[in-house]
Amino acid sequence: MPHRREGIEIFARKPTAVVAGAVFAAFGLSACEGPQSAFGATGADAIQLETLFIVMLVGAAILWVAVNGLFFYVTRVHTTSISRRLANGVIIGGGIGLPLVVVTALLVYGLSIMPDQRAEGDGLVVKVTGEKWWWRTEYQPLAGAPVVSANEIRLPTGSRTTFELTSERVIHSFWIPKLGGKMDMFPGRTTVLTLEPVTPGIYRGQCAEFCGESHALMAFKAVVMEPDAFDAWLEAEAAPIQADPQAPGAEIFFGEGCGACHALRGTQANGAVGPDLTHLATRESLAAAALPMNREALAKWVRNPETYKPGVKMPAYDHLSDEELDTLAGWLMELK
Amino acid sequence: MRIVAKTLLVLALVGLIGAAAVVGLGLYNVSARLGHVPGLSWVLNTTFRNSVDLYAHESEPVPPLTADMVLLGARHYDAACKVCHARPGEARSATSLSMVPAPPHITEAVEEWSANEFHWIVMEGVKMSGMPYWPSERKDEVWAMVAFLKAVPSMSADDYLALTAMPRIDMPDIAAADSIAYCAGCHGTDGRSVSDEIPRLDILGSQYVRAAMQSYIDGTRQSGYMAQAVSEIPSRHLEDVTAYFAALPPAGETPARRPPPPRAPGSSEAPGADMPRFVNTLPNTRPVETLDPLIEAGRALAFAESGSRDVPACAACHGPKADRRSPGGPEIAGQGRAYIAAQLEAWRAELRGGGPRANLMRAAAEFLEDEEIEALAAYYASLGPEALRDAAQ
Repeated sequence: MPHRREGIEIFARKPTAVVAGAVFAAFGLSACEGPQSAFGATGADAIQLETLFIVMLVGAAILWVAVNGLFFYVTRVHTTSISRRLANGVIIGGGIGLPLVVVTALLVYGLSIMPDQRAEGDGLVVKVTGEKWWWRTEYQPLAGAPVVSANEIRLPTGSRTTFELTSERVIHSFWIPKLGGKMDMFPGRTTVLTLEPVTPGIYRGQCAEFCGESHALMAFKAVVMEPDAFDAWLEAEAAPIQADPQAPGAEIFFGEGCGACHALRGTQANGAVGPDLTHLATRESLAAAALPMNREALAKWVRNPETYKPGVKMPAYDHLSDEELDTLAGWLMELK
Repeated sequence: MRIVAKTLLVLALVGLIGAAAVVGLGLYNVSARLGHVPGLSWVLNTTFRNSVDLYAHESEPVPPLTADMVLLGARHYDAACKVCHARPGEARSATSLSMVPAPPHITEAVEEWSANEFHWIVMEGVKMSGMPYWPSERKDEVWAMVAFLKAVPSMSADDYLALTAMPRIDMPDIAAADSIAYCAGCHGTDGRSVSDEIPRLDILGSQYVRAAMQSYIDGTRQSGYMAQAVSEIPSRHLEDVTAYFAALPPAGETPARRPPPPRAPGSSEAPGADMPRFVNTLPNTRPVETLDPLIEAGRALAFAESGSRDVPACAACHGPKADRRSPGGPEIAGQGRAYIAAQLEAWRAELRGGGPRANLMRAAAEFLEDEEIEALAAYYASLGPEALRDAAQ
């Protein structure tokens, strides 16, 4: 009895500790928000995983309460000796029977949803290659030629898209938490993941396997669209460049040899080392979500990519003047 | 015991004072005229030989030594080494003979060393002998010196003179003409170079030539040959030299001494009518099995048609027929195969610098494979005068 009173007194005397603990816990909860959270799922697979999480959490909570309840009961409430029969019942029932039932139920439930997580795709195929540190993408629609792009994933709602994942040099992992689980990408091997987005919106994906110095800066925006809007986007994406290839900014692009690494469909720029830039300015972010997509960020990036992405393959163009960089960035922003 | 310790201490002190006197007061007579104390020459010479034996690794591969290398090596020897080691058919100068140790005459020096030993001696130099080390970090280019040295035993005095003859440049400014003639010795009076190992300058713009010379002077671009060359040219004539080569027309026939690059490997075809006879026994350029597939592979790589995701399209900056070319990317179509390959290797090894865009080329060459370097060199060297004419327009 004196022990319990002492415990209560500690709580009574140190309200600041309780507040601090609650505030700290609230920080943890803030991670549950935002475009890269597995909570508030917007894809069929992620919704299922979220349900699984809640079921597991509830199961774990029941176990925790029961075990600790029993412990509390025998140490605090019923401190006198109990009959041997009751003791055996509590140990066998609560220690073996209950966990067996709960864990078996969770296992059966978990196994029952596994086939759903391996569902076959029924439409678009998107090939994604992990590079250091960006994403090479190629859309293969049911009808029509493949469309090459980079550093952004666009998906239609209402159908299950297949991802064929591979990597150029090191192991990466492809993960859009709002839409589904993650899948590793291996050099020389293709892994398959399917996703069925439900709610249109702009979400965020992230490389989920440490892949080098700029691993944390290897992300992308996942744009989920209504099927009609997606089809229109894909058609626009398949088109050659829309910007004027004779503009002063274009002269800088070609004069500096940017086409050695970057392709601009419809021009002589056909490099395959870096991301395809044909419709660069339609993307929601720059440099695999390391920077926003705007003129200032483009100029900064081209001047010295290393500043924003350590270890990046792209060399610095710091020999260009501010005016030249701005002209080039302005033209790149016309690549719609 | 204490007596022993005291004696040792006193001896050590006396030794220290003696050494201080020799160094501080200059008691040791460094006169070369007096020569070494008896036996010391033997000690130094034996140390030298054993050291070369230890550090020059005989197991290291020797690249094919070609006639083009001999041409380059001979010119450099004539400018930098002849002053001490003389030339075939000529006695050493009185000054050379007064050195301690006296540098060996070239014809006797070449008799005792293997190719790897030559490479080590030329690259590293020999301390306390007057033999300098190679004035650059690039080991690859020293093989041209080795090719020349290995050719010396079969070289007559006239052969040597033919290899190293200075061209004539007629200009009112005789001093400037001398500087240009010195450069034209290697790069040709027509700028088309006398060897596959030496870049032709007629296809390069004046801006590029000027930047290249500056980077050799600054040391941002490495080459023992060019380090020597830019130090020989008086700075007031650098502009004359640049202007001369920049004014040369890029189009024209392939130089007489350099047969068109796509040709049978190991060809016995004479490199040129005026070439010394012994050079004919060497292959002209780096031999390869067959050139045609290499050229096609190089073309595909240059135009990003090979499927490579590591090698940027060379054509984006270097042409030859791109609609727009980089102001900073030099023309390389028609450049020598050996030269292009050596430069790409230097870029890849991070030994090559240059103008403000050097970082671009360094990134471009980072992931090149050996076979890709051979292919690109074969392709760009295979482009004939027609492509050059296109490039010039």
